[in-house]
Amino acid sequence: MNNGVTIQTQKLSKTFGHVHAVRNLTLEVHQGTRFGFLGPNGAGKTTTVRILSGLMQQSSGTARVCGLPLDSKRNKIKAVTGLLPETPGLYSKLSAVEFLEFIGALNDRNGDSLHNRIDRLLALLGLESRQDDLLESYSSGMKQKVLIASTLLHEPELVFLDEPTARLDPSASVIVKELIEILAQATGTTFFICTHQTSFAEDVCDQIGIINEGQLVASGSVQDLISATKVKNLEEAYLQIVGGKVDREALLTWR
Amino acid sequence: MTRKWSRIAKAEYQVSTVSFRENRTRNITILYALGLIWALFLAPYIIGIMADFIIPIEILQIILINMLPGFMRAAMFFIWILILIIPLSRSLQEIKIGQWEIFLSNNVSTRDILIGTFIGRIPLYGLLVLFITPPFLVLFFLAFEVALLGQILTYLTLFLMILTTIWLANLITAAIQAKLGESSRGKDIANGVAILLAIVSIVPIYGIMFFSQHFSVILGLNVFLLFPFTWPADVISWITIHSSQIGFSVEQILAFQQILNFDLLFSTALMSIFTIAVVGIGLASADRIFTYNIGARTEQVTTITREHFVIRGIRKLAPGSFGSLVVTCFKDFFRRASNISKIAYGIILAVVLPFIMSQIMINIGDVGGFDMMALIMVGGIGMAMIGGYTFSGTAFMESKDQLWIIQSTPSGTARYVKARLVSAFIIAIPLGFIPALVMTLLSGGTLDRFLFLVAYGYVIIAGAIMFGTGVTAWNPYYEDTKSPEHQMNVIITTMGAQFTLFAPILITMFGDMAGLPFWNMIHDAVGATGMPYAFALISMISLLIVGSLALVIGVKRLSRPEI
Repeated sequence: MNNGVTIQTQKLSKTFGHVHAVRNLTLEVHQGTRFGFLGPNGAGKTTTVRILSGLMQQSSGTARVCGLPLDSKRNKIKAVTGLLPETPGLYSKLSAVEFLEFIGALNDRNGDSLHNRIDRLLALLGLESRQDDLLESYSSGMKQKVLIASTLLHEPELVFLDEPTARLDPSASVIVKELIEILAQATGTTFFICTHQTSFAEDVCDQIGIINEGQLVASGSVQDLISATKVKNLEEAYLQIVGGKVDREALLTWR
Repeated sequence: MTRKWSRIAKAEYQVSTVSFRENRTRNITILYALGLIWALFLAPYIIGIMADFIIPIEILQIILINMLPGFMRAAMFFIWILILIIPLSRSLQEIKIGQWEIFLSNNVSTRDILIGTFIGRIPLYGLLVLFITPPFLVLFFLAFEVALLGQILTYLTLFLMILTTIWLANLITAAIQAKLGESSRGKDIANGVAILLAIVSIVPIYGIMFFSQHFSVILGLNVFLLFPFTWPADVISWITIHSSQIGFSVEQILAFQQILNFDLLFSTALMSIFTIAVVGIGLASADRIFTYNIGARTEQVTTITREHFVIRGIRKLAPGSFGSLVVTCFKDFFRRASNISKIAYGIILAVVLPFIMSQIMINIGDVGGFDMMALIMVGGIGMAMIGGYTFSGTAFMESKDQLWIIQSTPSGTARYVKARLVSAFIIAIPLGFIPALVMTLLSGGTLDRFLFLVAYGYVIIAGAIMFGTGVTAWNPYYEDTKSPEHQMNVIITTMGAQFTLFAPILITMFGDMAGLPFWNMIHDAVGATGMPYAFALISMISLLIVGSLALVIGVKRLSRPEI
């Protein structure tokens, strides 16, 4: 039983030698939440996702994902979660349909129901005219769309999205935003979204966590963070929490 | 203004001598001094002592004087292949045009790139000549009592020949890269071509190893005077003869003339004309060959069509999700040109090997060729090579992210590896036939021998596939075939599989020597005619066991969460 809590971590830490990628992360994400996980490059976002999706062993701490203990139920967690990795790891010699069939088969799905779902997802993402072309000829945005489709293919309860719109054009980003919102509302799917794009997070996410140097430094709703930092939008709130105000005078000193 | 090619040459020089970056000039100078001492004094001294220890130099002298022209041509041919084809093959496996794009976006002409890259590498090539070639030449210097000036001229000729060949290799490589690097399909074709080029190079190397005697005779034919590697070879032969302190008679010089056909002057002229022509063509065509800066590149889009009967058959046999995985692995394998080349490579190796072995047996007096034991051993080597080389981690994964995707599914890694294994087993079915047929024909065999060799060969290939897949799962790589991990996996797989095959025979033989009656026990159980079959059975079982173990360990390691 998860009592409406999809992700629950307790002092989760990960070290690589002397580098602390994640430090004492204690977090709760409720079912149906669109959780935005923000932070600068190298803050520990991707490492957190990899730990929570069962791909990486934490150094210390505990976690439950979809009510299942992370240490002992990795396979069951994988069955109910979907992962969109940071960079596209596609098979260049397969077509979009073949790749999605492959992902479906890995999740023990096949037959007409799988193919219907593949067709609908590809049509939704505007790829139906190119669905039989080899992925080697796809642009990076098109590859990203295929990966998003592969993440949703087996109807996971929890979806990890690592920079989902980084390579997408504005119209494709809008589709992904809408898709996330509709799935969260209609099916109760929980989204854990790592992103640098504060505007995307502000539009899509109802809860935000900000991680810096491996530590969770702020969390709450978008409005909570804006109010707490007394600024106008999430970007300014983020900059105030993490730092990174630009010194305009310094920008031309290299010349 | 600094010439652009000289900046590129400097960068290339810095890259090629990065190991000595602390004090580059001093270290390179010391290395050159050491190289000269090694080539002109140390190597003749050490090799002279070693040679004298094995065969008295007077006897060696007679042999080497007779061998000189043929050996030089064979050696130059070997160097030519080594320098021209192997780097070409390697660079085709890793087409990276990004660096060229940086150069060209900074308004650098392709001619500057070509010259700069080449000149920057010359110091390193010079060192290679000084350190590597003396062991091959010193014996002739000793036998012919070549004066110091003659030795220096020989090294210079060799250096010139190597530079010309490298220039030619760079030119061809750059042209092919420019054309094929334009699309991902082109890169794939380049990969395939690279492996085929390796076939072209490996067959003559085997030839030199096993047929050097016949090879020299063949190379002595006039037709070889048309090949550019013959001219520097003949120049070196003439320098050796003319700077010899033995004092050859006019008749002896005429005898050499008859073998070599052209005299020193003519051979030198041919070599020089070839060098000037190659350099000139390179410089003149550099800016025309490369089409980067002309306009937009074309990208070929490949659209898949209806599945063919084999895939439909697999789907019918295995209609579930596992069948879909097998089909995916099957499609992925056959859509890569490099895999098709690898299959061709494996088959050629397996066909060439029995030929070489039969030649050796004829050479050592066993005119009948193969007996059953030899067939099993030679067949085993060939089949293990096919299985190991063709399937050990070929395009196992294209990126680490692909592994994350597979690992993020329940038991995904194990299912994926099993599917790859099954698809490889299917692909390997026809591979057992061709080498078996060649071996049967060579040994004058019968249908039952053919069927035995097919079954034996297939089991060995399957065992090597299991072993190779296990090794790759244990040590996965995410680049193309040029990555060190891939090369390491291929070496471990082929060597490991071959060792496993022969381990039972070795254990039995050494056990026999140590007084353990393994050999007799098997002999008593199956009789003399049954011995080869018994060893074949033991070899197959041992490879299957080792292959299964490697597979289990590999899959376990690949499946576990990253620590």
